[in-house]
Amino acid sequence: MDGRVSLSQVAMRFGDFTAIQPTSLDIESGEFFSFLGPSGCGKTTLLNMISGFLTPSEGSVAIGGSDMTRVPVNRRPTAMIFQNLALFPLMSVYQNIEFGLEVRGIDRQKRRKSADELLELVALTGSGDKPVAELSGGQKQRIAIARALAVEPRVLLLDEPLSALDLKLRQHMRIELKAIQRKTGITFIYITHDQGEALTMSDRVAVMSEGRIQQVADPMTLYRQPQTDFVASFVGENNRFPGRVMAVEGELVTLDAGLPAPLYGRSTVPLEPGDPATLYIRPEQWRVGPAADRHLPLGGVILSEHFEGAWLTLEIALDRGPTIRAQVPHLTPGADVEVPLVVGGACRLDYSPREAVVLAGAVHEPTNEEGVDVAATA
Amino acid sequence: MWQQLRRRFGVPLAVAIISLLGIWLIAMVLLPQWQMIDYSFHPSLLPSERGGVKDVWSLTNYATFFHNDIHLAIFLKTIWSSVLVTGLTLIVSYPLAYYLAKVATPGQAALCLLLLIIPFWINEILRTFAWYIIFAFKGPLNELLLALGWIDRPIRFLNGDTGVLVGMVYAYILFMVFPLYNAIESLDTNQIRAARDLGAGWGRTHRRIVIPHAKPGIATGCIMTFMLAAGSYAVPALLGSPGSRWFTQIIYNWFFEGGDWNQGAAYAFLLLVLCIVFVTVIMRVFKVGLGDIAK
Repeated sequence: MDGRVSLSQVAMRFGDFTAIQPTSLDIESGEFFSFLGPSGCGKTTLLNMISGFLTPSEGSVAIGGSDMTRVPVNRRPTAMIFQNLALFPLMSVYQNIEFGLEVRGIDRQKRRKSADELLELVALTGSGDKPVAELSGGQKQRIAIARALAVEPRVLLLDEPLSALDLKLRQHMRIELKAIQRKTGITFIYITHDQGEALTMSDRVAVMSEGRIQQVADPMTLYRQPQTDFVASFVGENNRFPGRVMAVEGELVTLDAGLPAPLYGRSTVPLEPGDPATLYIRPEQWRVGPAADRHLPLGGVILSEHFEGAWLTLEIALDRGPTIRAQVPHLTPGADVEVPLVVGGACRLDYSPREAVVLAGAVHEPTNEEGVDVAATA
Repeated sequence: MWQQLRRRFGVPLAVAIISLLGIWLIAMVLLPQWQMIDYSFHPSLLPSERGGVKDVWSLTNYATFFHNDIHLAIFLKTIWSSVLVTGLTLIVSYPLAYYLAKVATPGQAALCLLLLIIPFWINEILRTFAWYIIFAFKGPLNELLLALGWIDRPIRFLNGDTGVLVGMVYAYILFMVFPLYNAIESLDTNQIRAARDLGAGWGRTHRRIVIPHAKPGIATGCIMTFMLAAGSYAVPALLGSPGSRWFTQIIYNWFFEGGDWNQGAAYAFLLLVLCIVFVTVIMRVFKVGLGDIAK
């Protein structure tokens, strides 16, 4: 079963508004692929073009190697799981699951057999005769999955289907979705604004902003090697240091960010001394030590601390620099518990330059409302 | 209901509301209807004979109806034609209501509704006369069909039931469109999308998803249209021929031409019973309760 999806130069315009800039993308057969972005970034529009609810203004959509651009939604080998699930409330669970098979003229017995198999797959054996209204949120979710899988789609499209569930159930369903995807081998295309969902489930993630794909990569690369400022701030948290390149040695970049000491980071783009550039340090990359520790290059004052279970989140005003956010383990095994990290007290900091990314261009402005931009709040 | 009203408005106002409702229901609805039923079971008498020996309960007025083949035929024809009007109105209104509820942009829907409502600011007689003119033997419709070459000689639309049917569909379309529109509008659009996505064509999507959801609206619209059609007087009087008389015209004649109110009351009561039967049947057919219709 070929579940490749190819978008070539697809664009979508509504009047003067461009929802999707010309975009090309290939999704592999059997891949768990996510589109991640804030609301209004165009991810749902893209999904609607793959499912056939929208016809692109330009470009073409191919599924399994055949052109689908003009094929109506009911003739595409895709199935969609809607944000509100859209189960048919007047029908029983069986009738819901069998709807797509009934449409295809499959006889009653075969229909019931596939429905039973699917109920087993989603661990709801025996609830086929229940009215949909009697199911719990999690059960409805599973029935929606079963109903979509019943038509044996090559591509399953999921439009933020977990957003209505509570946190525990959502985390559980992530694991289950991933398991179902492995078991069936169907291409899953997942739309979400929740980076946790995208990062935990996906083989690859496309980060979108303002109708454009910013970066396509596996979750680890996305987190450790963001290619644009948007990705760096939207995926995870980042402390941002705009400045000027002082020296370049291979991948290692020395940056003057106006702090008492130069900052070091890694860059995969060619940079020259004097170029404007921005360095990003993840909150969990900071090492925070006592004020007396002169080996640590940067100094600051702790403004606040928040206990978050595994982490202690500190807000630290760097000397002659911005306020940064650092996450440190609150109980490091074997660590010197005498280390006085008190609010209002001074401290010294360090980080691993290998984990600090440098991107071209000095970005001072926050790029979006959802990416926490700590540096700009100083 | 009493508890609710009391809590919201306090005892004096609640008592006032309940009694006004009661007075309205008893004095304006139940008593006049009772009077009619009472009339229908008494013979038509001169004022001097009322309360006399001849003033007894009898079924004569009803017997008259069942022994009059012409009246019986007109009664049955009225039922049949009203069912036809209801069906035609439903067929015309459903696509319109679906378009308004699910396809049109808010601006288009508003414009469309306005175009539907404005003609209803003109009174029913004038609107019906407009059709009279359109359907006339030498009227614009015949001219147009002749000019297009679709017919070779003018048709007498006003001779049979055509004029009455078209006139009624036009007169009552709003009473069908609005309940349908309300019902379809409340359907989650994702249900339609889901059905399409699972492979259903438009026909099946309507049959399995939209129509079942809109059932209470369809029932409401059908009941209203049928009642109005069965009880219509102006449209059949203006657009009907002598051969296509409506039962309401017979009732009218008993009251105002024949001066026999008792006979007229019996006929009117029969029409009322017919309408109640129709409502019950429709509710059974569509499997909806009074609660669904009140939504």
